[in-house]
Amino acid sequence: MASVKLTNVKKIYGKNTVAVHDFNLDIADKEFIVFVGPSGCGKSTTLRMIAGLEDISDGTVEIDGKVVNDLLPKDRGIAMVFQNYALYPHLTVFENMAFSLRLKKVDNDEIYKRVTEAAEVLGITEYLTRRPRELSGGQRQRVAIGRAMVRDSKVFLMDEPLSNLDAKLRNQMRAEIILLRKKINTTFIYVTHDQTEAMTLGDRIVIMKDGYIMQVGSPSQVFEMPENLFVAEFIGAPKMNTMRTRLELEKGEYYVSPFGVKMPVSGEKAEALKEKGVEAQDIVLGVRPEHITLSNSKNPCAVPCQIRVKEMMGSELHLHVTTSTDETLVIRVPTVDIAPHQLAALLPGVRIYVTFRSKVMHFFNAESEQNLLTEQKSIEGKSEESAEEAISSDKEPKTENKKEEV
Amino acid sequence: MIDYKNTETEETEVVPVVEFNLDMEDSVSEYEEEIELDTADVDEFVRQQEASQIHHVRSSKEQSSENKKHGSQKKRRIVGNTIIHIVLVIMSIIWVAPFVFILFESFRVESTGLAGYIIPHKWGFDNYVRLFTETEFPRWFLSTFLMGLFCAVVQTIFILAMSYALSRNRFKGRKFLMNAMLVLGMFPGFLTLILLYTLLHEWGLTGTNAPFGLAIIYVASSGMGYYVCKGFFDTISHSLDEAAMVDGATKFQIFYKIIIPMSKPIVIYTILMGFMGPWGDFITASFMSDNLPQGFNVATGLQSLIDGQSSLNEYYTTFCAGGVMVALPITLLFMFLQKYYVAGVTGGAVKG
Repeated sequence: MASVKLTNVKKIYGKNTVAVHDFNLDIADKEFIVFVGPSGCGKSTTLRMIAGLEDISDGTVEIDGKVVNDLLPKDRGIAMVFQNYALYPHLTVFENMAFSLRLKKVDNDEIYKRVTEAAEVLGITEYLTRRPRELSGGQRQRVAIGRAMVRDSKVFLMDEPLSNLDAKLRNQMRAEIILLRKKINTTFIYVTHDQTEAMTLGDRIVIMKDGYIMQVGSPSQVFEMPENLFVAEFIGAPKMNTMRTRLELEKGEYYVSPFGVKMPVSGEKAEALKEKGVEAQDIVLGVRPEHITLSNSKNPCAVPCQIRVKEMMGSELHLHVTTSTDETLVIRVPTVDIAPHQLAALLPGVRIYVTFRSKVMHFFNAESEQNLLTEQKSIEGKSEESAEEAISSDKEPKTENKKEEV
Repeated sequence: MIDYKNTETEETEVVPVVEFNLDMEDSVSEYEEEIELDTADVDEFVRQQEASQIHHVRSSKEQSSENKKHGSQKKRRIVGNTIIHIVLVIMSIIWVAPFVFILFESFRVESTGLAGYIIPHKWGFDNYVRLFTETEFPRWFLSTFLMGLFCAVVQTIFILAMSYALSRNRFKGRKFLMNAMLVLGMFPGFLTLILLYTLLHEWGLTGTNAPFGLAIIYVASSGMGYYVCKGFFDTISHSLDEAAMVDGATKFQIFYKIIIPMSKPIVIYTILMGFMGPWGDFITASFMSDNLPQGFNVATGLQSLIDGQSSLNEYYTTFCAGGVMVALPITLLFMFLQKYYVAGVTGGAVKG
């Protein structure tokens, strides 16, 4: 049980390949933090630097207030679970779990006690005499977690532990990790490329791209108030629809006009824009697939489009449609809302009308791709105070590591 | 605003517009009136789509022609397999025949020289008895066997250590070292014979002391045979090393507690190769022995038995018995260690 602090941590491969740029993060004791991002974003490298499997090029890593840069992995008080389980194939499950204790020369009774306790928590007691190859993927991953558990470590590191499991097992193991976390109650750092895992497991999520932190925040923060276009598109499945358009200001009211359809901005978003004094400008408008509804031709704000692909997911329907300007939108419709004969009629080629829900629209600066509502720098003659006010209303999103504006 | 309603598409097909009334309270809209949805054209469109999707049913004619195709394929497969088997049988006969001839010759009692037939007229163990009593074969056998064991052990240690270092560590000159050894390995070993002989002669390790000198020669260059072993180590996931490192193991502990137990097949292979080198060597051994019977190994010793026409007539069958004795330990070794060649030792380590 310990806090972890990363200060200006950098990883440079060779002479000038920078994998991780100034990484600053405070992880509180017993916090479950998730690093998420596409491959090559530096999330695993950062985790491996915390583990001591990778040299730290610059900056410091502190665990429990102690700088661990030059300590060996075994002396850092960490335990790690690997993506491919990394079980020792020639040892039984018991010996796999006992390996670290045997190296520490812990006496046999104590080893037996700790291993059986961990096995019980994980429900693998009956497999203790088997070898890894006789176990299924889920069981192997449990052994890998058990091996980390017996060490009583301060920080639990997990490097994409569920990536090798099939979808069904992954859901099940995800739920088990949530339960396990309650039982172990220690600091977790979890790396994944799967945003669903990140959203369901993390107390806080660190979204990374190209070695930079894009946003740090709770799952609801990053979902509801993405600080930039990358986060907006990365979190949420199917990904957010984005379109270039212009934010207009007419008589104190904001309008957007994607695909030539003029629609007013209403609700909290309009209030927030007004409060921040955002001016008319070119923007990237973001609308999540679930925030687009099916409408009809009588609605003047409806966008006409044509269905290209229909994906029936059971409880919901994903429609890929093209607009009059030949841009693609993805729409997510709960099937329960649609009459069966209408559902059958939603075939590729069919024309439909859709409307955007204005309360949950997202507005990004067309150049910097930063969210207009969280952007710190004044846009044009806007005072610093109002910017800060707008930010404080967003439950203190972390901005210290924001990517430099392009 | 563009209205698509009942316009014609590129395919000049009339597509219907499906209208909904699912707008939420915050859906951007400016209309209030209740709308009526017209679904007649939609229903017609669905019917058309369904009709076009009726699957093409295969006619019975098509099926029978396909069955015929399957039949001829089967015939072709049988012919192919038969040819392959015949070739394999012929090859195995060619392969085994010399060994069987030698075995028969070694049991021939009626004469000791070359004979114009294969199957002996009279069978017995006389040649084996002569081999162990009249010649220095026991001495050659023992010294070569011990030398082989020594080389097998030392060479295995060298090769494993070398391969592990090259597989897991990245150090300056690693690539150069590997390439240099690859190039050096392309030259046949006996190119250096004259030099080696002079050197060992200076040290007094030729003639009767030849077995010791030979042991040094065999072991000295053993690290160069790292390719196979390194290739095997490279296939073992590095995350196992890392997991062990996190568990608190030192590099050496990782090597002997994790990597070596996982590498049984390659360890066995290395031991076998280490043993067979000295066991079957002739050129180097004949050079170093100074033609003294005390310095011979089995190969040079046996060759000395049939050196010249008179000794060939007297010792040919004994020589064959010696050949069988030389083949025996290797054959036994292979038979017992065969199971370790079976893969699967790494199964379950990482997801495959």
